[in-house]
Amino acid sequence: MLDTRDLSKVYGRGKQRFEAVKHVSLTLHQGEVLAFLGPNGAGKTTTIKMIAGLVRPTHGLVTVVGEDPHRQPRALRHIGAVLEGNRNLYWRLTPEENLEYFGVLRQVPRKVAHRRGLELLSRFGLEEKRQTPVQKLSRGMQQKVAIAVALIHNPKLLLLDEPTLGLDVEASEMVKALVRQIAQEGRAVLLTTHQLDVAEELSDRVAIIRRGRIIAEQSTEALLKEFSSSTYHLEVEGELSPQQIHTVTQLGATVQGTQITYAGTSENLYALLRALSPVPLVAVQRDRADLTQVFLKLVKDQPDASL
Amino acid sequence: MIDLLYAELKRTWIQFIRYPTEVISGIVIILAVFYGLFSSAQYIAGPGFAFGDRLDSVVLGYAMWTLIISVNNDIAINLQIEAETGTLEQVFLSPYGAPRVFLARAFASLALRLLILVVVLLLLMGLSGSRLAFPPILLLPLASLLMAGYGLAFLLGAVALVFKRVQQILGIFQFLLLFLLAAPLEESTGLMQYLRFLLPMLPSTGLLRDLMARGVGLDWATYGLALLNGMVYFVIGLFVFRWAEATAKQRGSLSGY
Repeated sequence: MLDTRDLSKVYGRGKQRFEAVKHVSLTLHQGEVLAFLGPNGAGKTTTIKMIAGLVRPTHGLVTVVGEDPHRQPRALRHIGAVLEGNRNLYWRLTPEENLEYFGVLRQVPRKVAHRRGLELLSRFGLEEKRQTPVQKLSRGMQQKVAIAVALIHNPKLLLLDEPTLGLDVEASEMVKALVRQIAQEGRAVLLTTHQLDVAEELSDRVAIIRRGRIIAEQSTEALLKEFSSSTYHLEVEGELSPQQIHTVTQLGATVQGTQITYAGTSENLYALLRALSPVPLVAVQRDRADLTQVFLKLVKDQPDASL
Repeated sequence: MIDLLYAELKRTWIQFIRYPTEVISGIVIILAVFYGLFSSAQYIAGPGFAFGDRLDSVVLGYAMWTLIISVNNDIAINLQIEAETGTLEQVFLSPYGAPRVFLARAFASLALRLLILVVVLLLLMGLSGSRLAFPPILLLPLASLLMAGYGLAFLLGAVALVFKRVQQILGIFQFLLLFLLAAPLEESTGLMQYLRFLLPMLPSTGLLRDLMARGVGLDWATYGLALLNGMVYFVIGLFVFRWAEATAKQRGSLSGY
């Protein structure tokens, strides 16, 4: 669906030369959500804008459904975008009018754009507000309209730059649910966000960019697994017998009252569980890293020399 | 393309009409100025004198002056406003390509301005009992004038895309515009007689003066050159605008302001 090869962007010349993006290669398949993460100024927005054809790469190639948005304007029919820091909508127009206008702008026939706009408004729960000027809507509703507008031409790739920024919890949940639905429809979604819990919840894959270069790219699950330790925390109901404590300790676990901590092989874990029988178990939990820990570790630990 | 033109007309109209107080105050200002013209206070017209002393000429001269100023500034000002409000990049995501979108926008805003002018003039004719009469052949040099005017508008739009803040340039440009609209270079002798065909809009304004003030018929050969002048400036404007779009994308400064 999306393929970028060796994308680089250099701004300025001479002493003011600044390489904002260095050799970024990304692929994104149908129905997949890729969270594109990085600190401020790491090159996320520049990369997204290069994909959307708004910033011309110094080197490298972008193809969306086999077409290059920098050389073939029709490639833009496959791309929908909600860009950060932008209103993305005409505030004097209502949601219905915005949808029809942007539909036509994306080469959808006017009547089709109107019909599809109404469908999207109904799906996004905005039917009642369809004739209210956008500037009178709440920030959450405006963001939903912006996402609806980005979908009006039925694009195969949706670029969302900080879609939950500045939204309250409820609106943020709504947007997350929408992103899930959009991916389930078979669209590819490239998402940037600083809210790593959002990225963890929504993404199938994660790419982390630092100082213009991708420092990690793999499935969210694999990345979290890689950074998770193999330590288990068990909790039992009631006291263990001295014999049980002895066996458990022999297997390498430490016991503190009803809490047992174990860091060993999975075979011994089952032996430990057998040793605990018949004391009721309250919880068995493996230490699991969250995306925030992974992100901070990767971003802080990468020595500059390797970049 | 028809759908795009319709969509731009609708968007322009809705944005204009959404807040009635703005519409009313705008129309009252235009009405006041034109009422001044109708009351023979011709000094109010400023450069309108260029098209003759009759009421018809003064009114037409002023209407054209305001129209050309707004046409020239239209693209640059809208680019800047949209960059500030954050819709510009969405416009550049259109598969139509920016020049076609801005061309459709230019037609839409011209249609709105002409509509307002016609409504105001009809209102005033009704109020004052005066009658204005223009030979329909005026539309020909007016068309070539507007083509060159839009060529300049795209040039200024290109400046706005690359250099962003353009208010000062637009201010200075009005003096140049005054020269292009009011300087009667068609009466000059020597080299300037020919050089005037190279300057934007001048051949068309000369023809308008022939028709309005001098009562001379349309010289078709001169009109051919005026039309060519309009087309050449229009094409230059579009070409430079495309270059500016590519430059802004190269610099990554499309949405900056």
